[in-house]
Amino acid sequence: MLKSRAERVVETAAFVLAAAIFVVLYAPVVVSAVFSVFETRAGRILWDTFTVRYYGTLWSNESVIDALSNTAVVALCAVLLAAVLAVGLALYAQWPGAVGRAPLTLIIYMPFLLPPIVTGLSLLVGSANAGLERGLLTVIVGHTIFVLAVAYRLVLTRLQALPPSMIEASFDCGASRWATLRYVLLPHLASAIATGALLALTLSFDETLISSFVAGDRMTLPLRLWAMMRVGFTPEINALVTLVLLVSIALALVAARLLKPAGEHEED
Amino acid sequence: MTSLGQRWLIFAAVLALPVLVIVVPIGAFLVLSFARTENHQIVYDWNLANYAGFFGNWVYLGTFLGTLWLCFEVVVASLLVGYPLAWFIWRQRGARRYLLLQMAALPLFMSYIVKLYTLRAMLGLNGIVNQILVGIGILAAPSQVFLYNQRAVLITMVVIYLPYVVLPIFLTLERIPRSLLQASVDLGAGGWDTFRRVILPLSLPGTIAGAIFTFVLALGDFITPQMVGGTTGFTIGRVIWSQFGLAFNWPFGAAMAVVLMLVALLLIVAAGYAASRRRV
Repeated sequence: MLKSRAERVVETAAFVLAAAIFVVLYAPVVVSAVFSVFETRAGRILWDTFTVRYYGTLWSNESVIDALSNTAVVALCAVLLAAVLAVGLALYAQWPGAVGRAPLTLIIYMPFLLPPIVTGLSLLVGSANAGLERGLLTVIVGHTIFVLAVAYRLVLTRLQALPPSMIEASFDCGASRWATLRYVLLPHLASAIATGALLALTLSFDETLISSFVAGDRMTLPLRLWAMMRVGFTPEINALVTLVLLVSIALALVAARLLKPAGEHEED
Repeated sequence: MTSLGQRWLIFAAVLALPVLVIVVPIGAFLVLSFARTENHQIVYDWNLANYAGFFGNWVYLGTFLGTLWLCFEVVVASLLVGYPLAWFIWRQRGARRYLLLQMAALPLFMSYIVKLYTLRAMLGLNGIVNQILVGIGILAAPSQVFLYNQRAVLITMVVIYLPYVVLPIFLTLERIPRSLLQASVDLGAGGWDTFRRVILPLSLPGTIAGAIFTFVLALGDFITPQMVGGTTGFTIGRVIWSQFGLAFNWPFGAAMAVVLMLVALLLIVAAGYAASRRRV
């Protein structure tokens, strides 16, 4: 099909705009990487000062190591809890005898849909009322309910794709409920659980707004970075920031690869 | 067969934990908004003073309305930039389309606080934005207008929340059957007519959904205004946050957050309605 002149102009404009947007969206990676290996003076980059030593000195910074280990503990606990809850809740939602599916769905999605400031505040007030000290436990609860919706959605979709005849066949062959769960349902759900867990991990790794309300004086990595930002920019922070970006991009790419077979892409 | 009574019992058992960690805290937060503080103690006596104090004081109400306006600006700017990008990606074929889509989605997973940090470095007096503008001669000297004001909050939020606009728009564009576009061309419509009468109306649900996501996210964000907003970039999120820190008036903060939550819920319901009409 021949394209008119106007169409070509529009397409060129869209291309230029798209290119500019991608430059801006990916600038954080480039900027922090450059600032982590070169020194700057009054905004000018001193190109002859290349060094990677800040990637080394980073690991002797105790507050950073502490924040990293807190983040790892929180992410692992939250993902594990959310995965178990998601499977249990999805199995219940698909059970023919289930009642109250609508309120169940509403409750699960609420923390994900509400602004994080509301979720964080609620947890802060709730834990204060319960006499619970703010700390890693409250952060774990916050992250668990935040990522639960994602894990639940993925597990439920996969579960709905399983023909009920498979489960009936399992029972007909004399398998117990437990054996059906262990040998039919869980293997069918395994990759959905893995994808959900990975997405949940990236979300938890990055979560800042809810954490800021319930963390008390325990710092996760984003909270530590936030605190460091207020002091100023150092090459060490830039080295840390570059690593954080690379880790989250890597996690997201793996998750995208896992999700890909599920999505259909029309070719023409 | 399980009796109805047993089924409700199982329902209660399944729901116990989610209710305890999700519903009970939200309930506690709603109740708190009707309490008051006295000598740093929270007194629960069911009064509306917090709400009256919010709606009756222009400092707070004005900040709230200003925040709604800011979120509206963020949405408009995001759509102006995001729609053409979604359209551009949709026009690509095969592997390239998928790659660009991934590239548009990936920034969602890049650390939020890190994006704030680098954007602040880029917008500052010695930042790359000023260096480029001075370098190509648009500005004579580096300017401070890009950081620590309301405009800085706007720019930063658009960059951070742009993928939330692009993805839903792309998804509705992708659902438009090719045959409809061919029919439009066969009937003699030009590129612009096809866009205006077929593509744009059919992609409207995704556009509305994306706009509402962005609005809700911007509304609840209190770290962006704090980091790049300076003294003029005050938003309701910052005010709420300060009630739980320095000001230490939890009930008042809770009441303002309830108002914010109601606006967000209203919009989420609207988004759900838009999404349910997504079918072509």
